[in-house]
Amino acid sequence: MIAAGMGAVRVPIWLVVNNILHGGALSEDQRIILFSIRLPRIVASLLVGGALSVSGLLFQGLFRNPLADPYVIGSSGGAVLGASLGVFLLPPISIAGFGTAALLAFVGALGSITLVYWLARVDGRTPVVALLLAGFAVSTMLSYSSYFLEVLDHDFGSGMRVLASWLHGTIAQPTWPQLAIVTAMLAIGLAASVPLARNLNTLALGEEYATHLGLSVQQTCIAVIVIGSILTAAAVALGGLISFVGLIVPHILRMVLGPDHVRLLPAAALSGALFLLVADTVARTAIAPAELPVGVLTALIGGPFFLYLLRNTRQGVMG
Amino acid sequence: MKPLIEFAQVGFAYGDRNILTDVDACVFENQCIAVVGPNGAGKTTLLRLLAGALAPACGQVTLKGSDMRALKHREIARSVAYVPQNVDVPFSFTVEQFVEQSRTPFLKMFAGLCSADYEAMRRAMELTDTWSLRSRVFNELSGGERQRVKIALGLAQQPQLLLLDEPMQHLDMGRQFEMIDLIGLLRREGIAIIASMHDLALIEGTFTSVWLLSPGEPMRQGSPAEILRPEILEIAFNCLPHHRPRLLERMRDRMEHDL
Repeated sequence: MIAAGMGAVRVPIWLVVNNILHGGALSEDQRIILFSIRLPRIVASLLVGGALSVSGLLFQGLFRNPLADPYVIGSSGGAVLGASLGVFLLPPISIAGFGTAALLAFVGALGSITLVYWLARVDGRTPVVALLLAGFAVSTMLSYSSYFLEVLDHDFGSGMRVLASWLHGTIAQPTWPQLAIVTAMLAIGLAASVPLARNLNTLALGEEYATHLGLSVQQTCIAVIVIGSILTAAAVALGGLISFVGLIVPHILRMVLGPDHVRLLPAAALSGALFLLVADTVARTAIAPAELPVGVLTALIGGPFFLYLLRNTRQGVMG
Repeated sequence: MKPLIEFAQVGFAYGDRNILTDVDACVFENQCIAVVGPNGAGKTTLLRLLAGALAPACGQVTLKGSDMRALKHREIARSVAYVPQNVDVPFSFTVEQFVEQSRTPFLKMFAGLCSADYEAMRRAMELTDTWSLRSRVFNELSGGERQRVKIALGLAQQPQLLLLDEPMQHLDMGRQFEMIDLIGLLRREGIAIIASMHDLALIEGTFTSVWLLSPGEPMRQGSPAEILRPEILEIAFNCLPHHRPRLLERMRDRMEHDL
């Protein structure tokens, strides 16, 4: 509500509440701004924030490492390449409101994760260390190979600007069908993560110990990768590459709530959503009428805060 | 009486290095077995075969009559608990959250823990004297406390067979005797125990049988008195008489005294 009132054009908050509850009381301009511009964007930032934190939590649990993030197994590289293809080479199309860049970024993210998983698989097993290393290599390779596409840019930099703002994470103007699709993905992802949360607790004791405790480690691993990737890809399609949310939100929650994934999961979805809403609201109001990419803001706030936490907690990074 | 676990002609190799060949053995309900042998002889491998974490290269391991390979990890974990040598927990789980993982093989997909689960955990923690540690962070415990908490996790699985990999490692003398007492207590609870042991002096009195592994030799089985004899140990551990540790001398003195 508060976020809805803020922006380049001011709409008083009590009018917002009143309008949603009873209708009326707003001018036509205000109505359009509110319902076709601000509310969709607010919902989008909630969804993206929730999806990124949950996926960050899942990957941190899988890799037993609190420094893992949603892009850790290569989704960002594929997304960058996909988005560049969309910006530079292909004609603009749109499916349910998603543009070429967003669609290809989604496909690229899922594609690169599949490639990483296939590369890391040896003799029917997928050691998580191999997954991590292959993810790093593939992601870096793919994101740098998008440079070749930039050379093909005929419009002297206009594509570059589009791509750059996308890379820095910008929640653009989503349509309601887009939001519905991502909401469905997030809901499915969340529901499917519920039984996984307990498995991740067991997995924290190590792959071998978890096997002795009756956990099917491979199944858990595949489930985490599938759900985490879909959530990340959905977030990328809606908001580009937004840094730190998926890393820092689960991390802070772990310091407050302890390491039990069963408790962390709903908390991550909620706080991730709220965190990104606040960040996006600041991003679009701080230098209004211009906008900051929200990814720039999360990096500027998240980075120093994260370092502060690292230096000031007794348990350090293992919080 | 039917055996809990049966090894038939079991062999295992890492690459082309044979670790175990043609092992035939049975584990019964009331047994407390010490697995001894020099480093690299296959003690941990044997325990992992018993836990179903490794499949034998040849032969067959059966758990209560069914082939281990056909069983799911979940099913095995309800009868056999494995307590590993080292555990590395990256997050700061409390002792209670750590022990809670024992219930993984019993939980249904979307269900949480029920009162029977908490009851099993509580009893296991009381037996191992770790109930008072339950809110402490696992990673901040001492070596002896950690060892007891790991055993509490194994016990809370309510297993018929408890496998202990080097339970005496990193324990001071006092804690070692406590551990021996605990093993005796668990035996009286009716749980079969197999533990890999380095300190041969701690075996007699508590363990009913000894399995001796030695590289290139068939596995020997027998009572502690039959196996823990200087002439057997000298060969198995490849220690020449003039290098013989004081322990073996003491054992020989005692045995001669007994005769």
